[in-house]
Amino acid sequence: VTGLLSTMHRIRHANAWIFGTMLFSSVLSLIASFVLAVDAVKLAADPTAELSCDINEVISCGTVAAAWQSQLLGFPNAFLGLIAEPVVITIAVACLGGVRFPRWFMFAAQVVYTIGLGLAYWLFYQSMAHIGALCPWCLLVTVSTTLVFATLTHINIRDDNLFLPARLHDALAGALRANLDLIVVVIWLLTLTLAVVVKYGDLLFG
Amino acid sequence: MGKQQRTASREARKAQAAIAAQRGRRINWVLAVGGLIIAGLVAAIGLVAFNAATDDEPTAGGGKLITPANLTAAGAIPVGAPAAPVTVEIVLDYMCPACGRFEQANGDELDRLVRAGTAKVELRPISFLDRTSQGARYSTRAANAMATVADRNPEKAWAFNSALYDNQPEEGTRGLSNQQIADLATQAGVSRDAVDAFHERVFEPWVAEVTQAAFDSGVEGTPRVRINGVVFQGDVFRAGPLTQAVEAAARSGT
Repeated sequence: VTGLLSTMHRIRHANAWIFGTMLFSSVLSLIASFVLAVDAVKLAADPTAELSCDINEVISCGTVAAAWQSQLLGFPNAFLGLIAEPVVITIAVACLGGVRFPRWFMFAAQVVYTIGLGLAYWLFYQSMAHIGALCPWCLLVTVSTTLVFATLTHINIRDDNLFLPARLHDALAGALRANLDLIVVVIWLLTLTLAVVVKYGDLLFG
Repeated sequence: MGKQQRTASREARKAQAAIAAQRGRRINWVLAVGGLIIAGLVAAIGLVAFNAATDDEPTAGGGKLITPANLTAAGAIPVGAPAAPVTVEIVLDYMCPACGRFEQANGDELDRLVRAGTAKVELRPISFLDRTSQGARYSTRAANAMATVADRNPEKAWAFNSALYDNQPEEGTRGLSNQQIADLATQAGVSRDAVDAFHERVFEPWVAEVTQAAFDSGVEGTPRVRINGVVFQGDVFRAGPLTQAVEAAARSGT
């Protein structure tokens, strides 16, 4: 068992696994953004268009897409995903191929992606608290953005790219080695699931 | 290396191992707590989902389609004397702002025509705007309450219809609460027995079916008004045109 655990530990901290996860998640995000962007264009042409994911009154991309929050900057938010995710995909592929980016580059990537994460969670909150509908593609963006953020942060702490004070960096790197990041991400995603189920369970399973 | 040095380095190694062991224990402890939280969350999600899946029993009838009593042959909620020569059929959604404006403009006129025996009204409450009440399904709840009144206390259906419009919530809000709907019905004179039956949600499947049937039959939005079966194309947001059309139909006897 110890052998298996240490093998799993080694795999989880290997570049191939981390950047592989980043690549997988960013591709999911890109697909979701693409579908949402196409839907936004469809809805602009015909506001009554039925979207494939308008399943009931709660699972409804149309309801979410029609809310002002979905065009925060004056164009569909999904366009941001179309712009940003290919960059993440490029970084992940390059790193899988053995490229090492300079420290400032990875730091900048972390800053920009953190802003993106903030936007994704602001939207999640809006759709939970104010729009009152969920769209499956938006949820996919929430989850995959979280995973990309987790892997990017993992790499950047491990490689000390974040210009953190030495003691803080040591503590965080220790937490990574102990797989606490994995626990935090799992707890976080389960908490989101619980929130969705508590709020919409009777309509999702009813 | 002298004996003293060797001892010192052995001591240092021991101290280091002790620190590492202590850190390991602390980490294991954190991992254990994390594992417990994860197990708890999974259990909570399962429990909530299970409850939600089995919680649907209160729809007395268990989601079966039950049609309210006292409907017209065509399945609408009737208001007024069956012998009245003109039939005004209204497809409506209690959440729809246009329906509210229609009611404001024409409610009193329709009331007068019904009382005069010139017209009878047929109401078809639908629920397509459920998606605009933040998951609170206001349209369905209001329509189910209306169907319950039609079923148990039909002579109050018209008064309850007006009460729902007089207190129409803004589109995009969660709508009136079940309690507020019940209070409105009570104020409109609906019997206790009917009001108490709202929460049984017996007619929700019927509302869903009326909604589906409405769109299948070509309804494109609400309010959709037909006079003796012919779609009324005039201005429905102004008192007058509808009344004239109804009176014209009464005169021509069609």
